[in-house]
This record gives sequence, structure tokens and C-alpha cells, in this order.
Amino acid sequence: MNQTRRFYSFRSSSTLVVFVTLVVVFSIFTPNHIFINERNIAALGKLFPDLGIIALGIGVLMICGEFDLSVGSVLPFCSFIFAQQMIADFSPFVSFFVSLLVGAILGLINGIITVKTKMPSFITTLGTLMFWRGILYVWSKMMPMSIRTFVPSGSPFQKLMAGNLNAYIPVQVIWFAIFAVILSILLHFHRFGNWIYSTGDNRDAAHAMGIRTDLVKIICFMIVGVLCGFSACMQSVRLGSFAATQGVGFEFKAISACVIGGTSLRGGIGSMTGIFLGALTIPIIDNGLILMRVPVFAISAFIGLATILFVLLNNYIERKTR
Amino acid sequence: MEYENRQNDDIVRMVNIEKWFGRVYALRGVDFHLKRGETVGLLGDNGAGKSTLIKILSGYHVADKGDIYFDGKKVVIRSPRDARRLGIETVYQEQALAPNLSISRNIFMGREPVKGFGIMDKKLMDEESMQALQNLGLRLRSPDLPVVTLSGGERQGVAIARAIHFKAKCVILDEPTVALSVKEVNEVLEFIREIQREGISSIFITHNLYHVYEIAERFVVMARGKKMTDVLKEDVTLDDLSELVIKSALVE
Amino acid sequence: MTNQESIWKRLIVSRSLSIFVVFIVLIVLFTVFSPQGRFLDPENLKVLLAYGSEFSIIALGAGFLMVTGEFDLSVGSILVFCSFAFLKFFGLHLNLFVVLALTIGVGALLGLLNAMITVKGQIPSFVATLGTMMLWRGLTLWFSGGEQQACDVSSSPAFVSFLNGNLGNFFPIQAMWFIVFGIILGVILHLTRLGNWIYSTGDNADAARAMGIRTDIVKMLSFMVVGILCAFVAGIQISRVSCFTARTGEGWELKAVAACVVGGTSLRGGIGNMSGIFLGAFTISMIENGLVVLRIPYFWTYVVFGLVIIFSVLSSMYIERQKWAQK
Repeated sequence: MNQTRRFYSFRSSSTLVVFVTLVVVFSIFTPNHIFINERNIAALGKLFPDLGIIALGIGVLMICGEFDLSVGSVLPFCSFIFAQQMIADFSPFVSFFVSLLVGAILGLINGIITVKTKMPSFITTLGTLMFWRGILYVWSKMMPMSIRTFVPSGSPFQKLMAGNLNAYIPVQVIWFAIFAVILSILLHFHRFGNWIYSTGDNRDAAHAMGIRTDLVKIICFMIVGVLCGFSACMQSVRLGSFAATQGVGFEFKAISACVIGGTSLRGGIGSMTGIFLGALTIPIIDNGLILMRVPVFAISAFIGLATILFVLLNNYIERKTR
Repeated sequence: MEYENRQNDDIVRMVNIEKWFGRVYALRGVDFHLKRGETVGLLGDNGAGKSTLIKILSGYHVADKGDIYFDGKKVVIRSPRDARRLGIETVYQEQALAPNLSISRNIFMGREPVKGFGIMDKKLMDEESMQALQNLGLRLRSPDLPVVTLSGGERQGVAIARAIHFKAKCVILDEPTVALSVKEVNEVLEFIREIQREGISSIFITHNLYHVYEIAERFVVMARGKKMTDVLKEDVTLDDLSELVIKSALVE
Repeated sequence: MTNQESIWKRLIVSRSLSIFVVFIVLIVLFTVFSPQGRFLDPENLKVLLAYGSEFSIIALGAGFLMVTGEFDLSVGSILVFCSFAFLKFFGLHLNLFVVLALTIGVGALLGLLNAMITVKGQIPSFVATLGTMMLWRGLTLWFSGGEQQACDVSSSPAFVSFLNGNLGNFFPIQAMWFIVFGIILGVILHLTRLGNWIYSTGDNADAARAMGIRTDIVKMLSFMVVGILCAFVAGIQISRVSCFTARTGEGWELKAVAACVVGGTSLRGGIGNMSGIFLGAFTISMIENGLVVLRIPYFWTYVVFGLVIIFSVLSSMYIERQKWAQK
């Protein structure tokens, strides 16, 4: 009893339970146990970091007490910039840095609007979500652009962003892990992490202790922007093209991932372990259900259900343990 | 001037402070001083201007007119950062701590010791927080407990331990005993005595004359943005004091 | 006369002012810039009032709920689920008004479910309705196979004229429903006890509970209002297009939030009024229509929505500052 109680007192434990349960269920019930087939795992490893990397950033931002709905349009916007730069004859590496820079600037804009107007970031980033998506549609005329010729299979940049480390491990997984480790150090061991938690938990106290809470929030928004820029390049290189519909719906999926990872919507609560697991769980639901022949468009139903059930469970556990 | 001969004794001196919000005066030419090692009770009705005065000292508001001297030097305090750098520490009733963060993270909030590259020295933080709490007579199980699990009195203890640990020269106690049980109030008053023993000056803002009378050495009563009374404890009884507060609130 | 004056004055200092300005400016802009002033052409107005009211009615409910301090991201999904329910009930060959009543029952249930998860589960409505948004949309797509399905209601002219007819020769009945719901909700919010409970629940739920208001029930009712309006709109939509479309209402959840925010409703609850919500709801529909009339590619709609939201955020910040200065 004491053991279980201690186990549950870690916030990420319910995420871990959900994660493990899903893996077991999918491994058993997918036809021919295809879920744990190494080819499926490799395919999953190529796909999930697109959303996963962004979810990591959103998690940090949520701990800081803010949201970013605009990721769904910042991502394709950065993809577009990336493609444009390469079409304008810049090298992939230069284009990549431009894309990161644009991501950072869009994050900065979100941050400044939110902090200066003191409005909920739900609203401000809803505004920028629509605004950037509109600008992107107008600018790109929604035409897809092929970038395959600039980053052909086997070119250094393609290898770096969408290659394979060895026969099984796609490089995307490595990137996801790297970002998770960096952000984890930032959140849990770096002083800036303490500022993020205090800002999200009790902004007045943080301010009274001399922390520049506005600056902390703006930097968190910029972290999300940069990660969007990164994920944009990664996705574009994998697909070999830019499409204006990239990232549609990411805003909600990323928040779902963080919620399943035990991050509080009110800020100040959450951990990188949880967010990491949450960012894995959503794509696993996607993948597992497809393998179980659930129609693609019905999958969101399960993600929705999982989100609600998870939060209900988590609340229940919390009430029991306190 | 009245202050001249004891100027060097003063840790804080605020001269002719004025502040208005829009068209409304919050403070009209208030003088306030605090001696080294002294505890002053700041009293007054709601809206008397005491919290505005304190917020100017702690950097939340900037005065529209008037000067602040700290430790004998004229200073400008524009933000809580500035105030904290000078050694002015504020213990707010509910606002001083982040409830979901651990005790040690709270104590070092904004002043985390680092080992390099900004990585926090967790071991040092834990040891020093426990030591700081022990000095205050508070024995808590672990520095990793989130503050939300502590009692109201213990939370004030954490905030006060923080102020003492960082060698504050002046501690502002903003209603530290409000909404606490009798036992907890006694705990907190004991913490404040520890502040006095350390020789730290403090300003004790409260509505509760009984709490402040036990502990402060001088009382300042404010009403409608002005300082009405400034008396030493030996010159008043508790009854006088309560009459003073009521009267100054009623005077037009 | 004096009474009228004070209403005018109240409008000026209220948060509805900025939406009123946006509303007028947009009308002028669309009128001036549309080719041959086609924006004010009766045919276009008819289209605007008929189509636009569908979204606007739902936005009314969303705003009503937002005043209680909660919001509903699942409106688009409730709409599509109710459309599907309508289709299924239709298949039972019942009287169409019975079908509509049953659909409204489904809508109310879905609203109640949102409320139960939010209130009993003590989950922020953002997460709860984010979940149900994905849930109902996904289930509807699954059950329907994502295909359009015919649902011809023309067999009952009474029903069609009830939801998709005209008042007189011109006025689309959808717009009348929009106004009727606007008035009903406005009366509830501003003149009844329940309205007062809604405001106090949104403003300070603890205080409201201490005063004996059953905030849980207040929230449940408000969630159900949203569900009912979604179901009603499902009926309107089916009677107009005579088929079920699995993609209807996509993206409406955020548009609805936008409409309410533009109409001066606070996300934190307790602030907002029906006239603002009404104008906000209509403005969003009008922007979509106006841009079409101006022959601006549809993509621009998003840019304009974004700008309008950011503008209203800035203007409400300005209003707050003015209030502070007056203090």
C-alpha cells in the first residue's frame, strides 16, 4: 500500500501507467503483433518527433502558465520560409537557420503581445494562429512546393534531419531525445527552470523575488517558436516538400500530449519526464489504432477520450493521495 | 531638523513621499523612518495608504514625489529587483511563495546558487534551506516538500527564513498573522523575534493591535494618505493605541 | 428620452463600444469596396443572413457560457454529431418536428456531459471540451464513414419553412431565429435571477457559492444551452442543404471564441453582455461574407480574423487602462 502510494505521488506515474498499458494493449491486439514489429517502430520513430518536439516546448510554456495555439500555423509558416530560401538558392543549412530565426521571431511576437496586453495567451495566440495561417495561405497560394532536389536522399542535410542512425534508429528520434534532455536540464537543474516554475506557479511571488517574469514568459514563447522552426525543417525534409496544410491540428494535439503528461493548465506543475511520455503517447495512440484498422479519421475520438479519462484519473489519484 | 542627529541610525528614511493614482491621492507628503534593528508597527484603516507606502519601498510602485534614503544613501527603487538588491525583503501574506515548488527552490527563488552554466547547486540549496529553517526553530522533514503541504505558520516561516538567510537589512512583514490559528500566530511572532535577535530592522503591517503591540518598539498610524501619529511603545498603552487608530480614521 | 440617453451613454463606456465600431467600419468598408456596392444588395444580404446566422446562433451560446467562466471547444463537434443524429432519427420516418426535438435532446445531453466532466471531474473546461471535441468529431466520422449522406426534408414544407423559409418575401427565418435566441439569452442574462447567478458564478465562484448559488447547476444549464443551440443549428443546416456533411462545423470552436472575445466577453468569466456577443457573432459571419463579395480569396479571412482578434485585445486593454485612470 505504502509502495503504491509512493509510486502515485510522482506526478508522472499515471502517465507512465497509461503509456505502458497502451504499449501492452497494442502489442497484443494488433494483427500479428505488428505494433512491436521493428519496422513499425522505426516508422513510428520517423513520424512522431514532428509533433513530439513541439509538445516538449509547449510543455515548458504551460509550466510557465501560458499556452500557444499558434504552433499549428507557425510550423507551416517556417516550412514555407525554409522552402522559399532553398528555392532562392540558399544552402539547406542557411535556410534551416533562417527558419529557426523566423520561428523565434514569431514566438517573440506571441510573447510580447501576451505580456504587454496582459490578455490570456489563449486569445492572443488564437489571433496569431489565424493571422499567420491566413498570411501563409495568401502568400503560398496553398501550392505545394517540392524541395526534393535541394535535399536529395543521401545529402548531408537530409541525413542530418531525416536519415537513419543505423538500420533501426531514425535520426528524428535522436533529435527528440536531445531536445528532451536539454529542456529537462533547463527545467530541473538550471536556475532558469526555477524561474519558469515560479513564474507559472505564483507570478507575484516570482516578481517580488526579483525575477523578470515577463522576460521569462517571452523566452518560453521563443523556445516554442524555435522548436516549431526545427520541426518544420525536419518534416519538410522527410516529406521532400512543403504543404500549406502541415501542422494543422498540432495546437490541440500538443496540448493533449502535455495534459496527458501531467502538466497543469494553470501553470507551475509538470515535469519533463511526464511531457516526454505524453509526447510519445499521442503518436502511439495514432499508430496503434491505425494498425488495428480503426479508420484514420476516427482516431481523434480516442485521443479525446484518452485526454479526458487521463485527467479524471489523475484528479482522482491526487485526491486519494492527499 | 528632527532627524539630523539620528540620521546615521536610520536604515530607511522616506521623505515627503507623494503618490496619486489617476486623480486620487494615495499618499500626501509622508515622512517615514526606520532605525537599525528597530521594529515598527505600521497601522491604519483600509485605504489609509500604508500598503501604498510599503509598495513604494519594495519597488512595486514608484513615488511621484519625495526621496528615499537607504543606509544613509539616496536611492531610486524602480522594481522589486532594485529593492531586493538593497536588502529590502518583503514577506507577503499569500504572495511570497510558489505553492507547488519545493521549500529549497522557494527559499532560493531568483537567487539560485549555480555551479556553472547556470546549473543550480541543489545540494547547497537543500543544506542551506534546512539550516536557515532550523535557525528559526522550524524542523521540517525535507527541503523537497512542496510548500502547499505546509501549514500557514510554517509557510510564513519559510518566507522569513529566506529574508534572514539573505541577510536582509530591512524586512517588510505585510499582515503576516492574518488568517492563522492562535498557535500559528505565536509561531510567527516567535519568528519575528528571531528577526529582532538578528538585529534586522522590520516593518510590521497589520490590523491586529494585539499582535503588533507585543512585538514592535514604535508605532506609526496612518489615515487618508497621511501620517497621523508616530509614538514609542513606552509612551502608549494598548488602549491608547487602539483609540489613536480609531480616532485618526474618523478625523476629517 | 432620458432613459434612451442613459442607454446610449452606457453603450459608449461599455466594452461593446469597440465591437460596435468594428461592426460599423466593416459595413462601410464592405459597402464602399464591393463591386457596385454589391454587399448591400438584397440578394447578398439574404445570403449573409441565412448562412451567417447558423454560426452566429452557436456563437451566442458560446458567449453565454463564457460569462459563467467556462468555455466550450466542442461546439463544432456537437453540431456535426447532432447532424448525424438528425440523419439517423430521420431514417426512422418520424414527424420532422419530433426528429428536431430528439436532436435537441441529444444536443442537450452532450452539453450536460461536457458540464459533468468539467464540474464533477473538476477539470478545466478547456481540457474537458478539447477531449469531447476530438471525441464527437471522431465518432461521427467513424459512424458516417466521413461521407455526405442525403437527408431530404422537402417532404415536409412546414418544417422547411420553419427552419429555412422567409418572413415576408425577404427576411430569412434563420436570422429571425438568431434574433429570437439573442433576445431570449439577453433577457435571461440581464433581467432574470438566473442571469445574476451566471454573472456571479463567472466573476467569483467561491463568493457565489457562499451566497447559496448552486454554481454547478448554473454551469450545467449554460453548457446545455450551448448544446441545444448546436442541435437547433444542425436542424437548420440540414433543412438548407438537404444532406449530412461530416465536415460541418470544423474550426467553429475557435471562431466562436473569437466572436465572443471580439464582442467584449472576458475569458476569465463574469464580464460580457449579450449585445456585444450578438454583434461579435454577426461580425464574424459578416467578415466571411464580405470578403467573398469583395472577391478576396478565402485565405484572407484568417488574416482578417487574426487582425480583428488582436485589435479587440488591444482595445480592451485600452479600456481597462482608462478604467484604472478613472480610479
